[in-house]
Amino acid sequence: MSAPGPAPLDVAERSAQDAVRALPVPAATAAFRARLKHEFATGAIERPRSLATAPARVLVGPWAARPRAFAMAAAAAAMIAALVFVANRGPAWQVAAVTGDGIAVIDQRGIPLGHADDLAAALHPGARIELPADASLELMAPGDLAIEITPGTRMILPPTPGRWFRRAIRTELGTGELRITTGPRFHGARLAIATPEVHVEVVGTTLAVIREPQGTCVCVLEGRVRVGAMTGPRPGPMVPVDGGRRRYVFNDGRPPEMATMRDTEHLPLGALRRQFRAHVGP
Amino acid sequence: MGTFFEHYFDLVFGLVMRMLGNRTAAEDVTQDVFYKVQRAAHQLDIHRDPAPWLATIATNACRDLWRSGADRMGRRSASIDVDPALGERLTRGTNDPELDALAGERERRVQQAIEGLPEPLRVPIVLHDYQGLSHQEIAAVVGIGHAAARKRYSRALTALAERLRDLGPES
Repeated sequence: MSAPGPAPLDVAERSAQDAVRALPVPAATAAFRARLKHEFATGAIERPRSLATAPARVLVGPWAARPRAFAMAAAAAAMIAALVFVANRGPAWQVAAVTGDGIAVIDQRGIPLGHADDLAAALHPGARIELPADASLELMAPGDLAIEITPGTRMILPPTPGRWFRRAIRTELGTGELRITTGPRFHGARLAIATPEVHVEVVGTTLAVIREPQGTCVCVLEGRVRVGAMTGPRPGPMVPVDGGRRRYVFNDGRPPEMATMRDTEHLPLGALRRQFRAHVGP
Repeated sequence: MGTFFEHYFDLVFGLVMRMLGNRTAAEDVTQDVFYKVQRAAHQLDIHRDPAPWLATIATNACRDLWRSGADRMGRRSASIDVDPALGERLTRGTNDPELDALAGERERRVQQAIEGLPEPLRVPIVLHDYQGLSHQEIAAVVGIGHAAARKRYSRALTALAERLRDLGPES
């Protein structure tokens, strides 16, 4: 069955159609025509000043012809993207424990460690944290990972891994020690820990990274991490370090050492792991 | 490039002039069209008639002008003094001043009726009846479906006929 043809025109419509078809071609002034031809032929043509504020549109398509539909589609896409972005966000950092007291410096602002609400509000991804010499802080992203920041440590707080994407996160340790353990939801994520001497890649383990005056020690309690000594802006070859081992990268030119992990790290790392597992399950 | 210009200038200027009805704006938009043509010359398919492509650029340039509001400002400030072709039109043609005047008056009324149409209706009338584009080509220019283009043209023609009801046949 074919589509119905156009309705026949009435007299007035036919007359209007004829009137438009009979319109002569409007003549441009000779001066304008000559100037434009010269500019076009020589490549000197420019957008008229009166139109120069509007963007030059050369490519045309259905979206360009339907700005309202385009705007609605763009708004819907932006809303969906915003929802996905929000839904993807990992859990926020929570303060699991504070040991000792004093004033932590977070983003160059002093915050008493006893003020739990102020402390929690200041702990955002990318926050620069500096703990006093007699206090430690234990942070937890439920299901993902826990970080114990030991006294006197200076570090940058990483974001928590996204649920579906942006699962590679990064932290920096300036001085002091970080103890880290990962949980079941960390599976598939990647944590990079950077000090001036080493680049550590973690995909699921319990470890300590200790920045000392002569270098950085990476002590691995369980699992495996990869450690690369920094050679300029990029790390050198990444060396695997298995559970029960440590790798020490010196900053005075001595070659890195691989040895059994420090005894002093067994207890605190084991305790951190137990506490976190008790909270989130094995 | 000069040959191309000579071949298509009248098409572009005529189309833009019929769309806008304002010589100053039509000159600006025509210049804009040829500026865009030069920038997009590499997209030109020498095996195909460039007229529909030019009509698309010209139509979009007019629509950009309408959206920018500059057209309305120009309309307020335009007067018969800035239309140097008016004099040519009133004295050109049959060498019969009365007939020329009648033809000029008729053209002016049709042009005014076209300008009185809302912009979405003005485009299909000018493209179909003045420029001679098919509904299929108009659909591609405007970015709508073929059936929608036909329907829009039909509405436009009805509206134009209403405005020209007392025009009478051409003598």
